[in-house]
Amino acid sequence: MTRKEKVARFLFPLESDNWLALLRFGLGLQLLLYALSLKGDWNYLFAATGGGLISRNLGEAILSLESPFVPRLGWLVALGTRIGISEDAVLSLAWMALLVISCTLIAGLLCRWSAILAWFLHLCADKSGGLVSYGVDNFMTIGLFYLMLSPLPDRYALDQWLRKSRPKDQQWNGFLRRVLQIHMCLIYFFSGITKCLGSGWWDGTNIWRALTRPPFNIVPPEILVRWKYFLPAVGISICLLETGYPVFIWLKKTRTIWLVSILAMHVAIGLTMGMYLFALIMIVLNLAAFGPDFAIGQSKGSTNDEKRSAPARSAMDSN
Amino acid sequence: MRQKRVYLAWFFLHFLLITAFSCRETISLLAQGPTLLPVSFQSYFQKAEIVASAVLGQRLPESNPARQALATYLHAAGIETGYGYFAPNVPGTYKLVFELHYLDGRVEYELPRVSSAAAGLRVAGLLDKMGGPRYDPLRETMVKMLAYSVWQEHPAATTISAVFGTIKLPTIAEFEHGQKDSYEFLYSYDFSRIDKTTERKSP
Repeated sequence: MTRKEKVARFLFPLESDNWLALLRFGLGLQLLLYALSLKGDWNYLFAATGGGLISRNLGEAILSLESPFVPRLGWLVALGTRIGISEDAVLSLAWMALLVISCTLIAGLLCRWSAILAWFLHLCADKSGGLVSYGVDNFMTIGLFYLMLSPLPDRYALDQWLRKSRPKDQQWNGFLRRVLQIHMCLIYFFSGITKCLGSGWWDGTNIWRALTRPPFNIVPPEILVRWKYFLPAVGISICLLETGYPVFIWLKKTRTIWLVSILAMHVAIGLTMGMYLFALIMIVLNLAAFGPDFAIGQSKGSTNDEKRSAPARSAMDSN
Repeated sequence: MRQKRVYLAWFFLHFLLITAFSCRETISLLAQGPTLLPVSFQSYFQKAEIVASAVLGQRLPESNPARQALATYLHAAGIETGYGYFAPNVPGTYKLVFELHYLDGRVEYELPRVSSAAAGLRVAGLLDKMGGPRYDPLRETMVKMLAYSVWQEHPAATTISAVFGTIKLPTIAEFEHGQKDSYEFLYSYDFSRIDKTTERKSP
């Protein structure tokens, strides 16, 4: 097999759409919790005028300096104003639409349109509220962007049951999973390498600071002090886990342990820092990228590709 | 075959952008320091950051179509920033306190308030951005907006002083010796009914 063929085989594996079902369901759940968690503050966070926290106009003005073509809630509000709907009502409708779309994503109903609308509405909220957004929004955009491009519906979606449609482009399916996998590797590599350059991650100082820093100070510092000799090990483990991710997640012998460790790290972040949404999105992206069928199925010596029949592969290669 | 080529072209462009912007942010974080690298390296990273920004078209005029197209794609794909969360070190945290003055001489204190913990994380992120190295007029505008939202709930207040500061967290050793969080003053802004703003800065 030539190098070119090897690269092609790596980038275009024949994958089942289990990962896609996981991504769709996980992002649907994430979106649902995102919408519910902001239920009481949605209009307060995104209002341009009146009793909002900080004017949406400011966030959108800063965004316009980068590009006036990035989707934003201001577009929807302007559209609503034309047909006589107030800003408050448009914002509430956007929130309700997110809630409904999250449910259709979970169920797998109208998958394609749900994914596109979910990406668009979340992007609007994320960008208009750029001043009040943080990492979780960024990762949700990444996930929803790939979901929108993916060959939906997957086999577990209600759409598949209702319309009995034929399996979608498997080549694009496998290719997109590779894209997500490589993206995850880059995320952890850059996160890890930058942490490795901070002294605080090697002596536990940064773990102490992260866990005592408001509003992440959920664990009483008295408890942390009891575990103070353990903190440097935690800091070093995080550095090694993240920096080593792009290597060890691919090796057959280490991929399961690496995935489990990374998932455990995110569960711990969620529980000890109160960043539940952040933890969930990272767990969803990791499971979709390197989930059970990759970590366990392939570590037993056979890849998903090898399980496929030779005629299927030659048919795919001829595309 | 043609379809595959299109996929590959997108793949290389997409990951080139992700890698380039992640590298730029890493360089930017290293330029701000402190890191395990010698302090003398900081000036090199500062220069490298300028070069990286120029290569990525960030020094082009804001109205440049190529820059706008690139920014639109980056935002749409969620790849406009790097991934240096809490790196190289966990940054400081900020606090904004409003001092509300009433005609009868009464003084009340308020914090920016939201109803859920999830929104609370967002407010904390907002304060971090306000404390970041952005230029002062933007910070003042943001404080003014936050003060206005507080004013909506306390319409009887005649003047509001907004005090922006950083929370100094004790180290483990300091905590064991009984030291608690302390509040370090950074900026103060006074707002009155006629909207005349004055700012006092710490020396």
